[in-house]
Amino acid sequence: METQNPIVIMLINMTIVFAVLFVLSLYIRLIHKIDPTAKAAAAPKAAPKAAPAPKAAPAPVVEKGIADETVAAIAAALATMGVGFSRVKAIRVADRPGWGGAARTEGLTSLKMR
Amino acid sequence: MDILSAFITSIQSVWLDSGFASFTLGNFIMILVGLLLLYMAIGKEFEPLLLTPIAFGCIMANFPCTGFLEEPGVMQVIHYGIQYEIFPPLIFLGVGAMTDFGPLIANPNTLFLGAAAQFGVFISLAGAMALGFTAQEASAIGIIGGADGPTAIYMASKMAPNLLGAIAVAAYSYMSLVPLIQPPIMKLMTSKEERAVKMEQLRNVTKFERLVFPVSSAIIISLLLPPVAALISMLMLGNLFRESGVTDRLSDTSQNALCNIVTIFLATGTGMTMSAEHFLTVQTIEIILLGLLAFAGGTAAGVLLGKVMCRLSGGKINPLIGSAGVSAVPMAARVSQMVGQKANPSNFLLMHAMGPNVAGVIGTAVAAGTMMAMLAK
Repeated sequence: METQNPIVIMLINMTIVFAVLFVLSLYIRLIHKIDPTAKAAAAPKAAPKAAPAPKAAPAPVVEKGIADETVAAIAAALATMGVGFSRVKAIRVADRPGWGGAARTEGLTSLKMR
Repeated sequence: MDILSAFITSIQSVWLDSGFASFTLGNFIMILVGLLLLYMAIGKEFEPLLLTPIAFGCIMANFPCTGFLEEPGVMQVIHYGIQYEIFPPLIFLGVGAMTDFGPLIANPNTLFLGAAAQFGVFISLAGAMALGFTAQEASAIGIIGGADGPTAIYMASKMAPNLLGAIAVAAYSYMSLVPLIQPPIMKLMTSKEERAVKMEQLRNVTKFERLVFPVSSAIIISLLLPPVAALISMLMLGNLFRESGVTDRLSDTSQNALCNIVTIFLATGTGMTMSAEHFLTVQTIEIILLGLLAFAGGTAAGVLLGKVMCRLSGGKINPLIGSAGVSAVPMAARVSQMVGQKANPSNFLLMHAMGPNVAGVIGTAVAAGTMMAMLAK
């Protein structure tokens, strides 16, 4: 490079920077023009088919001897834990006395509510 | 007596081999500079991810008698990574993987704002030559105005390795000070009505455009400017990892693990160029002042072209996005958003400003490439 004139160097470099970025801007426009996927993206999508109506969830089987109030209390407790009542299949009296019952109680009481 | 004499001789030998015996006032001052940079990084949170390793590298560079750069070891490998321009392209791989070119592709006119902001680079180059720096040194100093640390290091390594420390520190320091430097210039150059201009929503960019852009840009720019082929190609490769949708693991590694590892090496190595004998010179003060001139000039030129585009578009372009043309991704775009929202609280300029912001990265690399092609010995 012969010239050491800072103004000349500045002008030449600015011209090249603008020219290169101008070419790049033209190129971006060209990509947009030739984009084969543009029309497909622009076309409105067909309305999605209406989702089939959800089947009514079967009511949970409630064992005899369990009061309606108990079922309501269990449902409310499950709801507070974020579990829908429709997912409950059955409500039965726990028949595991002794260590099994103690373990269940321990398990339930050790759960941290957040 | 013999035992006492041997003991004293040993103590003398330990003292003479220690760093304390060779410790100079310059080393002391530079360690204080390193501590100040650490305070700015940790206490003030100015670019802490970069400034912390730079500051610590600066402190390490001023330990005498370590032989860091003379003897094989990790420090020498880090130094080679900078000297032979290995780290900047790897950083660009991560930057590419993190960059969304969507706003730029949606509005290619913003490339001109990225070009205009390079004006600061060339003002600073002219200023440096007027102060007596060689054309090669002036070009490396000027690139500070590009607000792109890896490009500044890449350029300084090739054109003025003797000034690498001062240039890198000036570049990263000003990048961290973008929120302080730019707003006064932006407000000075625009009216409140201009700052309050709301821009239309950008069009959607298809996956085809997102895939073709990095590949074709790498080909075009690398063929035009081979000196920056490594930087641009790695930037676009990283972006292709991001956009392809089939290389998520590579994209994740590029933008997180790899980028973080290379940042540690690059920033520590940059700090290690700040030894007292290289840094405590009048040239360093000149470089720091020229860097500020470059930054201010680039911001002003970007806003000025933004004003022209605002007029030409019938008030559809907010001139504030022009200042984002100095790279400093994404800080400069955030500053545009912040200043614009102060003028009009319902204004959201961030996405619009990302166009010139990423255009600035390409613009700075192109400016570096043209100067290397013209001025390299």
